[in-house]
Amino acid sequence: MKQEIIQRLTEIVGQDNVYTSLEDLYCYSYDASFVKSNKKDLAGIAVYPGNAEETAKILKLANEEKIPVIPRGAGTNVSGGTISVGDSIILVLKRMNKILELDRKNLIAVVEPGVVTGYLQSEVERLGLFYPPDPASLAVSTIGGNVAECAGGPRGVKYGVTRDYVLGLEVVLASGEVINTGGKTIKNVTGYDMTKLFTGSEGTLGVITKIILKLIPKPEAKNTMLAVFSELEQASEAVSEIIAKGVVPATLELLDNIYIRNIEEYAKVGLPTDAEAVLLIEVDGDRQILAKQIDKIEEICKQSGAIQIRIAQTPAEAEELWRARRSAFPAVSRVRPTIIGEDVTVPRSNIPAMVKQIRAIAAKYKVIIAVLGHAGDGNLHATILTDETDREEWSRVEKAIDELFIAAVKLDGTLSGEHGIGRVKSKFITLQTGEAGLEIQRRIKQVLDPNNILNPGVMFGK
Amino acid sequence: MKQTLASWEKEVIRCIRCGACQSVCPVFKELQAEASVARGRVMLIRAVINKDSDLTDGFREKMSLCLMCKACVANCPSGVKVDKVVEAARAEIVRKQGLPFLKRLIFRFVLKNRWVFNFAMRMGSAFQGLVFRKGPHGQGMLPRMPLGLDRRRLLAPLAPQSFRSQYPEVVKVEDAKKRVAFFTGCMINYIYTDTGRAVVNVLKRNGIEVVIPALQNCCGAPVRINGDYESARDMARANINVFLREQVDTVVVACGTCGLTLKEEYAELLADDPVYAEKAKKLGAKVQDITEVLVSLDGFRDKIQDEFQDKLLDGTQGKGLPFNTELSRPKSPASIGGGRQRAVKSSMDSTNIQRGLNPPLNEVSFKVTYHDPCHLVRGLKVKEQPRQIIRSIPGVEFVEMAKPDTCCGSGGSFSLYHYNISAKINDHKIEDIKQTGAEVLVTGCSACRMHIADGLSRQHAGVKVMHTVQLLEMAYEVDR
Ligand SMILES: Cc1cc2nc3c(=O)[nH]c(=O)nc-3n(C[C@H](O)[C@H](O)[C@H](O)COP(=O)(O)OP(=O)(O)OC[C@H]3O[C@@H](n4cnc5c(N)ncnc54)[C@H](O)[C@@H]3O)c2cc1C
Ligand code: SF4
Ligand code: SF4
Repeated sequence: MKQEIIQRLTEIVGQDNVYTSLEDLYCYSYDASFVKSNKKDLAGIAVYPGNAEETAKILKLANEEKIPVIPRGAGTNVSGGTISVGDSIILVLKRMNKILELDRKNLIAVVEPGVVTGYLQSEVERLGLFYPPDPASLAVSTIGGNVAECAGGPRGVKYGVTRDYVLGLEVVLASGEVINTGGKTIKNVTGYDMTKLFTGSEGTLGVITKIILKLIPKPEAKNTMLAVFSELEQASEAVSEIIAKGVVPATLELLDNIYIRNIEEYAKVGLPTDAEAVLLIEVDGDRQILAKQIDKIEEICKQSGAIQIRIAQTPAEAEELWRARRSAFPAVSRVRPTIIGEDVTVPRSNIPAMVKQIRAIAAKYKVIIAVLGHAGDGNLHATILTDETDREEWSRVEKAIDELFIAAVKLDGTLSGEHGIGRVKSKFITLQTGEAGLEIQRRIKQVLDPNNILNPGVMFGK
Repeated sequence: MKQTLASWEKEVIRCIRCGACQSVCPVFKELQAEASVARGRVMLIRAVINKDSDLTDGFREKMSLCLMCKACVANCPSGVKVDKVVEAARAEIVRKQGLPFLKRLIFRFVLKNRWVFNFAMRMGSAFQGLVFRKGPHGQGMLPRMPLGLDRRRLLAPLAPQSFRSQYPEVVKVEDAKKRVAFFTGCMINYIYTDTGRAVVNVLKRNGIEVVIPALQNCCGAPVRINGDYESARDMARANINVFLREQVDTVVVACGTCGLTLKEEYAELLADDPVYAEKAKKLGAKVQDITEVLVSLDGFRDKIQDEFQDKLLDGTQGKGLPFNTELSRPKSPASIGGGRQRAVKSSMDSTNIQRGLNPPLNEVSFKVTYHDPCHLVRGLKVKEQPRQIIRSIPGVEFVEMAKPDTCCGSGGSFSLYHYNISAKINDHKIEDIKQTGAEVLVTGCSACRMHIADGLSRQHAGVKVMHTVQLLEMAYEVDR
C-alpha cells in the first residue's frame, strides 16, 4: 500500500488504530472458514474506526483510490467473508462497541456494529427483555457481523433469525455517503425495504454503523427434554408432528449416530450408541403451559417410536441434557484434526432424504460426515471430519462438498441456511438464483458500489 | 517434550479458527488486534511451520505477547494447547537464534521505557543475590530466579535473610502424623518469606513435619516459558534429585506456577530422558498445593467448624460473624448431626492439645475476596480448596469478585516486557477487587500477589494482599 494512503488513513483513525506489520496483516488472511488467502494476498493495512464519520472518510478515500475494503467484525464467519484480497483495507468495526439505547417502552435496542451478541443479550435480559437470535458463536460474534450474515441459531424454529429483529440501519455507502434505513417502528412501508436488502449483504453493499433492533419480553421459564430414536425417519416424523400439533419448541436439535457415538465416548451422558438419532428439545414460555407442552411432545415422540425419553425435572438436569449437545464439538474434534461445518438447509420434510444423501456422498468419497441439525428449520450442519494436511483426502473432501450443495438444491433446499455465501460458495450461487437472478443482484451491487470496492469476490466470485 | 516447532503441526492444525478465544484472552481484550489473540498466535506459528513466514522480530514480539494464562485453552472447543505451542515457538527462537529473545526485548521495551525500567530495577534489587547457586552435584551454577535475566552473566551473593536460611532443613514436630517436603520457589524464598513462614506454621500446627531441602533451586518456569528448554531441563533434573531423596509422600508448594511445573511440566520436558522421565513422573505424583494438603487433612474442616461452633454456642462470637453463610455451607459428613459433641470431645482430648492438633482459632474480622492464579486454577485445578479454607475462618466475610479466575496480567516476565499492557489488564482486576469492598485480597501465588499489590498501590486502594495460608495463620494466632 502506498505510504501516502497509509498516512491518510492514520490521520483519520489515529496511530493506535492502524496495523501494518507483516505479522499483523497475516492474521487477517483467514477467518473461521477453511479458506485462507495466499501470502501474496495480504492486506495493505487494517484500520479500526471509532465512529461513522471516520468510517465514511475511510470509504471515500478507498473509493477515490479504488482500494478494496473488507468490513470485519469478529472474523467468525465460515464462508471466507473477511479474508484479505491483496492490497486492501481491512475495516474492523470492533471499536464501535457501544449499546446506545435500550428502550423498554418501545422494546427497542440501538447498538453500534461492534457490540458482541452475547453481551447485548445479557444486558437486554437484565431488563427482562429478550433478543432471541443465538448463533453458536454469540460469545464473540458481533451484531454487525450477525446482520451482515443474517445469522440464525437453534432458536430459529420459534423465534426466527436476525432478519426478523432488524428494524433499521445506519449504513455508510462506498461513496462515503451515510444513509438511514427503516426506523424505530414495527410498521414501516416508506420506500423499498432497504433494511432487508442490507441484512445478509455480507459487507458487499455498505458498511453498517448503527443497528436498531426489535426486542421481545423474556419468556418466563423453559424446560428441556431429550428423545432417542433408533431410526432417523422416526425422529424426523416426530419433528413434523410436533410442529403440526401446534407446539413450537424454542429449539429442536438433531444429532446423528456419528455424533451420538462420539459424544457418548467422550462425555458419558448415557446415550445408546446404536441409536440413529437424538432430539434435544427445549420449550419456553409461561410456566403453566410448559408442562403441558412437554407432555404433548413426549406423547408424540413415543408414538413416533422413541426408545428413550428424558425430561429434565430440575435446572441441573436440564443442564445435564445440554451437556450432551455442548460436548458435540469437542467430541468429534478428537476424531480428526480438521473440522468443516457446512450448513445446507432443506425443507423440514426432506431432512431424512437429505441425511441419506449425505451418507451416500460420504461413502462415495470415503470421508466422515456427521450431521447435527436444527431440525425444526431444516438447517443441517453437515460436519466433515478430515485432515487438511492430507492433500489426497482434501481433494475428496472438496468434491464431497460440491455434491452436498447440488443435493441440497435438488431437495428444494439452499446452499446455506445461515453461514452465508462469502468467497467459499460463490461459484454455486447460480444453482439457486439462476443466471437472471444473479444478474439482478449484480446490478444492485453496481448501483451501490460502482467501483466494486466493498468485499470484492464475495457472493459474485472473482 | 517435542523437540522442534515443526513437531507441533498436528496440534496447530487442530485450531479450527472459530475465534472463541476472543472472549477470554486478556491480551486481546486490551489490544483487539487479531495477532494478539490465541487464534492469531496459532496461525502465525502455523505460518512458520509451513515456511510461509520466518522467525522475524515481529513474530518474536507477537509470541512474547502471551501471558501463558491458559484461559484460551480452557475455553477452546478443540482444546488446542495454545500456551504449549507458544512456548515451543519461543524455544524455536532460542534454538535458532540463541537467547536474544530476552535481551532484545529488555533493550527494546525495558530500557526505552522509564516506567518499565523502574519496575525492573525494583524487581532487580529485590532479586539481587538470588540468581545463581551451585547445583546439587556441583555441575555448575543454576539460575535461582532467572526472570528476564541472562543466566550466564549474573552472579551475586545470596540474600542473607532468605526464607530457607531462616529455617532448619527439617522443622520438627513432636509425634508428627505426617511428613512433607516444601518446595518454596524463588519468590517465597527471596521476597515473600512471610508466606513461607505461614506455610511452615500452619503445617506445624497441624502436626506435620516440614522438610525444606536446602539444595532446591528455581523450578525453571521462567526460563522454560521464555523458550530456554535446556536450562529448564537442567533445573528440573536438579530439583528431581533433591526431592526424590526425601522420605516424603507429599511435596508441598504454595505457588501455582511452581506447582504445575513440578507436577506436570517436568514430565513433559524430560519425556525423552531415559533416566529422568520416570523420576519426573514420580515427583509429579507427589506434588500438592498447600491448600489441597490442608483441606484433605483428617478432620481439618470439622475442626475449624467445630471450634467455630463452640464459640457461637459459648456466646463468644464477635460482631459480623457470617452466621448464615457458615450454616448454609455444605457440611462434611463427619460433622453432620454431631458438631457440638464432637467439638467438646476433641477439645477435651489432651493428647490432641499436646500435639497442637486443635489450635484455638482466632477470629479474623475481615472482608475477604480471592483471586484464582492461572496456573493454580487451570493448571493444578485447585479452585474450591482455598475458598473452603477462607470460608471456614471465623469472622471472615467472603465475597466472590467478578471473574475471579481472569489473569491479573502478571504472566511472569510478561509484566517486565509489556508493562503497559500488563498494567491495563491488572486495572480490570483491581476494579473487580474494589467492587467487592474487600479489605483483604487473598491469592495463591506470589507473582499474582506482587502484581496485584503493585496495581492496588498504583490506584491507592487500601487493600491488603496475602496468601491463603497467611490468613489461616492469623486465625491460628501464630507469631502475632
Ligand atoms: C463455532 C462457530 C459457530 C457458529 N455458529 C453459527 C450459528 O449457529 N449460526 C450462524 O448463523 N452462524 C454461525 N457461525 C458463523 C458466524 O459466527 C456468523 O456468521 C456471525 O454472524 C459472524 O459475525 P462476526 O462478527 O464474526 O462477523 P465477521 O465474520 O467478521 O463478518 C461476517 C461478514 O459480515 C461482514 N461484516 C461484518 N461487519 C460488518 C458491518 N458492520 N457492516 C457490513 N458488513 C459487515 C463481513 O464483511 C463478512 O462478510 C458460527 C461460526 C463459528 C466459528
Ligand atoms: S478457540 Fe481454539 S480452535 Fe478456536 S480459534 Fe481459538 S485456539 Fe483456535
Ligand atoms: S494463554 Fe492467555 S494470553 Fe496467551 S493466548 Fe491464551 S488467553 Fe491469550
